[in-house]
Amino acid sequence: MADMETILEARGLTKVYRTDAAPTAALRGVDLAVRRGEFVSVMGPSGCGKSTLLYLLGLLATPTEGTVVLDGTDTGAISDGRRTRLRRRHIGFVFQRFNLLAALSAEDNVALALRLRHEAVQTRACEMLAAVGLDDKRRRRPGELSVGEQQRVAIARALVTRPDVLLADEPTGNLDSEASERVLDLIGRFHRDAGQTIVLITHNEKVAERAERLVRMRDGRIAGN
Amino acid sequence: MACLPLANIFARKTRTTISVLAVGVGVALFLVLIGLTSMLREIANRTTNVSAHLMVWPASDQVVLSGGLPADKVQGDLKAIPGVARAVAVLRWPLKMAGRVQNVYGIRPQDWDLFAGPDRMVEGRALESGDEMVIDTRLARAGPYRLGQTVQRWGRSYTIVGIAREGVAGRVFMPIRTVSQAMSQDVLRASFFYVRLARPEDVRPVREAIEARGLRVITFDEYYDVLASSFVDMDLVIAAVVFVAGFVCFLVILLTVYTMVVERTREIGVLKAMGASRAQVFSLVMAEAGLICAAGIVAGFLLTWASRALILDLQPLWTVDIPAVRFAYAAALAAGGTALGALHPARRAARQDPVESLRYE
Repeated sequence: MADMETILEARGLTKVYRTDAAPTAALRGVDLAVRRGEFVSVMGPSGCGKSTLLYLLGLLATPTEGTVVLDGTDTGAISDGRRTRLRRRHIGFVFQRFNLLAALSAEDNVALALRLRHEAVQTRACEMLAAVGLDDKRRRRPGELSVGEQQRVAIARALVTRPDVLLADEPTGNLDSEASERVLDLIGRFHRDAGQTIVLITHNEKVAERAERLVRMRDGRIAGN
Repeated sequence: MACLPLANIFARKTRTTISVLAVGVGVALFLVLIGLTSMLREIANRTTNVSAHLMVWPASDQVVLSGGLPADKVQGDLKAIPGVARAVAVLRWPLKMAGRVQNVYGIRPQDWDLFAGPDRMVEGRALESGDEMVIDTRLARAGPYRLGQTVQRWGRSYTIVGIAREGVAGRVFMPIRTVSQAMSQDVLRASFFYVRLARPEDVRPVREAIEARGLRVITFDEYYDVLASSFVDMDLVIAAVVFVAGFVCFLVILLTVYTMVVERTREIGVLKAMGASRAQVFSLVMAEAGLICAAGIVAGFLLTWASRALILDLQPLWTVDIPAVRFAYAAALAAGGTALGALHPARRAARQDPVESLRYE
């Protein structure tokens, strides 16, 4: 499965959550390879393990078994610090609830991603906001933006560092149809024009159809690829 | 990254203001108390700011209770000791002026030069005899009293004949016989004596000779400690206030930062998703606490200045001197309390699981 073009790969990923009640297997031996420049959607019902898969692919959590290979680096036995550095360098996240920092303006939210990498390039933040059509609203705080605009700022923040992979967790989950279309168009444009690699999880068939490849999940396993 | 702590502080104006004020109150409490304790130092400095080297006191409390030492006899005995250039009797008696009890210094008018340099008199003249007094400039301002004014005390009227520059011995001087009459003494007595040595290096043999006569000798260097020993709990009070001030800073910062970390659990998860390291998250939390502390220190300095002005306005005879180095101590106390208070919440934030944080409602 793995070849020179593969940028992100899940190998036998298993994640078991140990609670007071009983252990719960959120993922059961998932194998998934994403090639550079590919747009993959992962679809399934609620509770099928989509978000868990995304968090593992994004190195936000560690698997119980299996490993994630990111840009050729097996992340199975690396330290938390190295995992963080890899995430900062290679991964961009877009969340269903936008997760913008309320105290910062749109511009500062986007620039924050650069500052975490010790890159103080305010112009790039402005350029990215312009790319998502929000140049005129860069001074506004999230509370002063519509939900669609907030998600576009979140996309700008995720992509300003030029990550190898964009991981999107239900990016249209909190948007109306018009805003959803706009956001999906934006994501699609970055994929088409900039060759951005995207993994998008959703429970919505119409959203999933926007991708080049559809991966279905059920009960913690890949049910169709 | 510097913008985020600042932005967070301004996003929660009320909470930030309360936290800043709490730190400021802690700082001001420490500084004002230190300033108030300077009163003791001021009294000691004033008492020893005369042209002498020793103070001679009765060794026995009984003598004190009987009104003091026989002034003429003891003065003669002291002057007869080799090495003693001069012995000056002082009869001290309480007198209420400007709302506070002052220690009147009853002296022989011819001994005024021991307490005054050539330019000490600001208005009027030195003592001569009778029902007259000389007060210092600070008491004159506090009264207010003016030259020529009469003061009714002890059933008599006393005229202010001179106003002298403050800072030497007492704030009120009267002829020793006038004070002795007011005390209805049968024999002229003295509360203590100032002794001037022919050679300052002769302190030890002169001291021994005086003590052999059954008297107590205190050098000017020892006087402050003697005074402070009568306020045995002062160090304890100061230590208690320092502890309280530091604890207030610690507690307020702990509560503020802990609340902030819990409120921003999801935000911390987002930062980690964006690639913030543990050290970066830790630094952000500590930076926000540090900004509150810095603002609190400034507020504390301003509160101190205002409190000092208010105290001196209400009690002009009090002394509230705060050496500059104490401001540095106060800042260090606030910074230490802040660092300790923010440490646990900052570490908690740094160790938060990013997935759990992102899912936090």
